[in-house]
Amino acid sequence: MKISQRRVRGLVAAAVAASVIAGPVIASMPAQAATELTFWSWRTEDKAFYEEQLGIFKEKTGITVKFTPYVNTEYNAILSTALTAGSGPDVMQIRPYGGMSTLSDAGNFLALSTTDVPALKKMSAGTLAGVQGYLSKKQYGLPYATSVIGVMYNPDLLKEAGIKALPSTYESFLRVLAQVKAKGIIPLGNATGNAPSLEQLHAGVGPTFYGGTQFFNDVVKGTRTFTDKNYVASLQAVKDLVPFMPATPAGVDYNTARGLFANEKAAFYIGGNYEISYFRSLNPSLNVGWMPAPASAPGAKRYATSWADGGFGINAKTKAKPEAIKLLNFLASKDFNQAAADQLGWISTAPYIKITDPAIAKMSKALASQGTPFLNVVGFRFGTPTSSAILQPGFQKLTAGTITAAELAKDVQAAVATWYAPQKGKS
Amino acid sequence: MKLSGIKREQRKFRWLLLSPGLLIIVIFTSVPALTTLSYAFFEWKGFVRGSWAGFENFDRLFSFPFRDQFLMAFRHNILVFIAIMVLQTSLGLLIAYALFNLTRGQRFFRTVTFLPVIFSLVIVGYMWQIMLDPYYGPINLIVGDLGQPTWAKAWLGDTATALPTLVFINLWRWVGFPAIIFLAGLNAISTDYIEAARIDGASEGQIFRKILYPLLAPSMTIITVLTFIGAFEWFDLPYILGGSNGSPAGATDTLALMFYRLSFGSIDSGANEVGVGSALGVIIFTVVGVGAALASKLLRRREVEM
Amino acid sequence: MKLFMSKTFFRGVLIFNASMILIPVAFLLNSSLRETSDFARTPLKLATDPQWSNFASVWQDGNFAIYFKNSVIVTGGSLIVILVCALGAGFVLGRYEFRGHSLIMAFVLSGMLIPAKLMILPLFIQLKWMHLLDSHLGLILVYAAGALPAAIFIMSGFFRTLPADLDNAARIDGASEFQLLRRVLMPLVRPGLAIVAIYSAIPIWNDFFLPLVFLQDPDKKTIMQGLTMFFGQYSSQWGVLFAGLTLAALPLIVLYLILSEQFIKGLTAGAVKG
Repeated sequence: MKISQRRVRGLVAAAVAASVIAGPVIASMPAQAATELTFWSWRTEDKAFYEEQLGIFKEKTGITVKFTPYVNTEYNAILSTALTAGSGPDVMQIRPYGGMSTLSDAGNFLALSTTDVPALKKMSAGTLAGVQGYLSKKQYGLPYATSVIGVMYNPDLLKEAGIKALPSTYESFLRVLAQVKAKGIIPLGNATGNAPSLEQLHAGVGPTFYGGTQFFNDVVKGTRTFTDKNYVASLQAVKDLVPFMPATPAGVDYNTARGLFANEKAAFYIGGNYEISYFRSLNPSLNVGWMPAPASAPGAKRYATSWADGGFGINAKTKAKPEAIKLLNFLASKDFNQAAADQLGWISTAPYIKITDPAIAKMSKALASQGTPFLNVVGFRFGTPTSSAILQPGFQKLTAGTITAAELAKDVQAAVATWYAPQKGKS
Repeated sequence: MKLSGIKREQRKFRWLLLSPGLLIIVIFTSVPALTTLSYAFFEWKGFVRGSWAGFENFDRLFSFPFRDQFLMAFRHNILVFIAIMVLQTSLGLLIAYALFNLTRGQRFFRTVTFLPVIFSLVIVGYMWQIMLDPYYGPINLIVGDLGQPTWAKAWLGDTATALPTLVFINLWRWVGFPAIIFLAGLNAISTDYIEAARIDGASEGQIFRKILYPLLAPSMTIITVLTFIGAFEWFDLPYILGGSNGSPAGATDTLALMFYRLSFGSIDSGANEVGVGSALGVIIFTVVGVGAALASKLLRRREVEM
Repeated sequence: MKLFMSKTFFRGVLIFNASMILIPVAFLLNSSLRETSDFARTPLKLATDPQWSNFASVWQDGNFAIYFKNSVIVTGGSLIVILVCALGAGFVLGRYEFRGHSLIMAFVLSGMLIPAKLMILPLFIQLKWMHLLDSHLGLILVYAAGALPAAIFIMSGFFRTLPADLDNAARIDGASEFQLLRRVLMPLVRPGLAIVAIYSAIPIWNDFFLPLVFLQDPDKKTIMQGLTMFFGQYSSQWGVLFAGLTLAALPLIVLYLILSEQFIKGLTAGAVKG
């Protein structure tokens, strides 16, 4: 079937003409009305929840909010280009600690006052510090939840494997894992295909080895370094868990790994409370138990790694400041936070929230006595290269066997020492 | 009098015709290119430019930790170029020759051969990611069914197989391109030569080696230069399948990916390094420019000789 | 050796190649009609119970209508700019010798070595300064700049092949330069314009990177960019994912099957001599 050149040209010209005429017409249509806000986030998993809640917000205030989540790994790039471009959303989710420090230092976020957002008055200094500027200490975000990493387990699978008691020491934990494996059940859902989740795995079991908050304080002060033998041991522990991971762990990506636990193929999953809503979306009838990381020795301290998950902030260049502040206050309200606790598994920063999920309730209670900061996120994201930038691919290399734990520790130390003053010159 | 009037009108008209194109190229290609060059010599905090930094960004690029990333990425680009050059070009030639000798059905096979070239790399990348999924992907299932379960691997997740897998996917998508170019080159060869050789009793193999292959030298030049440029600017496929970090563990990292990472930051480092990124950009420009020019010169000389 | 070079061997090569290409595509199309959990259990089954709802989900939740429209606007707009500029520049560079001709030609060709990707940051800041960020027009101009070197090269080649007598004849008849171009030469280089159109449009339609950086408003995004966001959101809903891939690929596949000869000629134009 030979179509003449003329026909081709005609078709192309027509299509082009149509689009050129349509384009400006559509573009010149009135811009969004003043009472519409844009709201960006990195949680594509929670889209349905936010849209429902924002529907409630619209009923209450008449303000329409357009919620656009982006894929987690692209969020930073997309947000930073948008803000630098002078556009960007009115309200957005902000990464905690150093995650967006260059953006906040460049003045992209509106500083929040306690008159605008009264909920800030009731939060502790530690919580507020999660979303403050690095150089300026202004409050740029409304912290919305604390994240906690621990060991989640499936009580049904454990029963099936004949495990009668939960392991409280790390040694007994390894024994339990082996027992589960012998019964043909995948012991640990975690895999090595996704680097950030490997980092979270380390955050879960690491403090048991390197000594929790004491070590954190020492490294922050500069009195100890990352090459400390306890820290190296914590890195090695990640490698030692590989035999208990799914087969060919390098090819198992984040969703597949979580899916294994959610679909009751794996008995344990070491991760954060934010995973529970994803588990339940795949398998609503899943039973999830939670315990802090096993101790290094009988009677020793058990840890629950925690950090401020992030905050909600307002674009300094927003054209709808009063509406944006209304939205923030809605996001700080008891109703919203209770719904988030129920449906997303948040450990909310708002007071008087009842947590119905027993696993999350346990996590929330554990914070006070067993909480320890997530080392990389809380302390070492303010400059480049961050410790995470070295550790994430580093863990993948470690579990693949191409570097040793000691070498990885040395690399982390060298990286941090290039910009972190108290560690400068130390190795 | 009339003549110079026409001359002036002509010249004015010509410049009128030439300028829009030139203007767009200058404003949106040349100026940004020069600006990238200049960025490399300043300090940067996020997207805000700081003070003059001389060669400091280049120094930082070549010291810890960027140096290791740079060397690994560069190595990957070189490996990819060699692999694509050898595999894609020879396969393309093979297919082109097969098409050339085909008596019936040339149209069908030609259309099919070229089909993957029109797909977006986004589509190709995602499609193959699912096909190669270790749990649900048909590739591993078929391989498992064939009774060799050890062959079913995490193609894209294993550091040893990730890059070769990407090269394979790239091959799938691009092999039609050299095939068609070689085919056009073969078609352009006067059939008189071939007929004469056949009458003289030459075998097909001799015809190929002595007549067809040498006369394909111009096509070979174009393909080599384009492959070189593509290999050193390789971004789309690794980005879609490995993310900006060259997952797993940097096994699929390329110079262009590193450039993107430095310019925009990544999820775990938040901050970006525009200065170092621009320095890297300058280096990539130089490698591509010099390499393409050299390859072009050397190959054209070979063309003439042939 | 004889066997190796036999006709059956080459036919075999072609059949193998065709299967390697068509089977994954068939898998893609088939899977787009499967239901997700069904697919998870038996990925290789034929879709006997076609789930057209997958496509409906993609069209609505995936905002495909908007993205498709945007892709058409951006690609169409770029084509207009490219064709007009390449026609003019190709005419001048293909038919006239003048001082600086080779310099300008070399300058234009060198543009082919510089991908927009590597200048993304200065382009970003430059467009911001020109108030062209988050706008289709900005994207169109950047795409045009990227495509013009090759387009001008191709058009000048076409113009060069036209006999010089045409010019003289027209001038003797009293035609102005403009009329010469429009009435006499342009109809003759129409094939060249078609080739330039295809050669330029396809990479622009397929691009996801520039929209990712230059378009912030979710309503302005293009189809390939939308696809990456779509994949991030629907990560485990296999059936819907496949439907998304199919929908995104369909326009070009259909066009290609109708105009395959032109496509082939167009996309290999810069590389084939004559």
